[in-house]
Amino acid sequence: MKRALALALLALAVGAGAAQAAGPGVGIGPYGGYNIALIQQDTGNGSVFGVRAPVNLIPLITVEPYYATSNLGDVTEKFGGLSYTRTGFDMKAFGATAILGSVGGGGLKFYPYAGIGSYKMTRTGSDDIKETGYNFGLGIGVPAGPKMSVQMRGGLDMIVTGDTSRKFASATIGINYNLMSGK
Amino acid sequence: MKNLRWIVPALLLAVAAPGCVLVSGQFLIDFNLENFTTSTDTVVTREDVDLTTKSDYQDHKDDLKGLSDVAVLGKVTNNGATAIGVEVWMTAGPTAYLTPGQVTAGGTKLWGPFNLAAGASKQVGWDESAKLFSSAGKALLLNEIKGDGQFTIYAIADTGTYTFTVDNGVLALVIDFGK
Repeated sequence: MKRALALALLALAVGAGAAQAAGPGVGIGPYGGYNIALIQQDTGNGSVFGVRAPVNLIPLITVEPYYATSNLGDVTEKFGGLSYTRTGFDMKAFGATAILGSVGGGGLKFYPYAGIGSYKMTRTGSDDIKETGYNFGLGIGVPAGPKMSVQMRGGLDMIVTGDTSRKFASATIGINYNLMSGK
Repeated sequence: MKNLRWIVPALLLAVAAPGCVLVSGQFLIDFNLENFTTSTDTVVTREDVDLTTKSDYQDHKDDLKGLSDVAVLGKVTNNGATAIGVEVWMTAGPTAYLTPGQVTAGGTKLWGPFNLAAGASKQVGWDESAKLFSSAGKALLLNEIKGDGQFTIYAIADTGTYTFTVDNGVLALVIDFGK
């Protein structure tokens, strides 16, 4: 898994270099949203925030490094007639996403994306989870000015933990500001 | 450049390929313990745990992969005149130890000490409880969960003499399963 992540980051670095030579489209954008824990009875849902920097290498492909942080909610259960609360995980992730197409420029954009990243989940009383994770989903880009667009995405994050995984459905909204047009 | 079209589908395929990882999750199983009062004036208190009586455990037994979270919960009252640290010990097979010495000699410390002042009564918090598990105890517990699901636990204290009561005791397990 670590090798795959290293290769993905290497590909990103090489790709970014090639793109610079050809005149890349580069943007940056904060985003926020909500993570829903799937099939996990020991942690809740929670907000997610982050930043992305899409680099449009060629017309078909955009590579997008990202950083995200999520504060997952607590879980409250009743056992033996008494109520107990388990603190949810704090999750941080960084990695790179490949997007089919571009997120900026003119017109409404629909695009699929898939990525790989390094995830860290921590909470009191649990061993830290530091594993490779994957994400994929669909995004919509809506123009909001000459250099800006609104980005809405829905997808799935999956952190592989040995033979099992922790999965989150995510819905986010953010903006993308084009720093370089790529023309 | 058109050759690069494979990148997103390839990443999607990489995500989908490990199917056993996709079809997985974390299930909470709780095992209620009898209310009891124990002291050094009597034989140690034990509970024979049989997870096969829990339907969630039975439903996912063949798909068990690990132990994600664990907690001993309940309300503990120190009936004595000195501070105590309550501990839970376990044995893999069925045992019937009579004294704290036999328990510590033949068992594995699972949890504790949960410290209580003289005369104090306190509900064990889930977060607090999760921090009190020993590595060796957790490993043995995982082994038993993956095995026959049957083991014996003992409640003692880390002092020479003690008397305490446990009400609404529960062993809560969060188990990783995967197809």
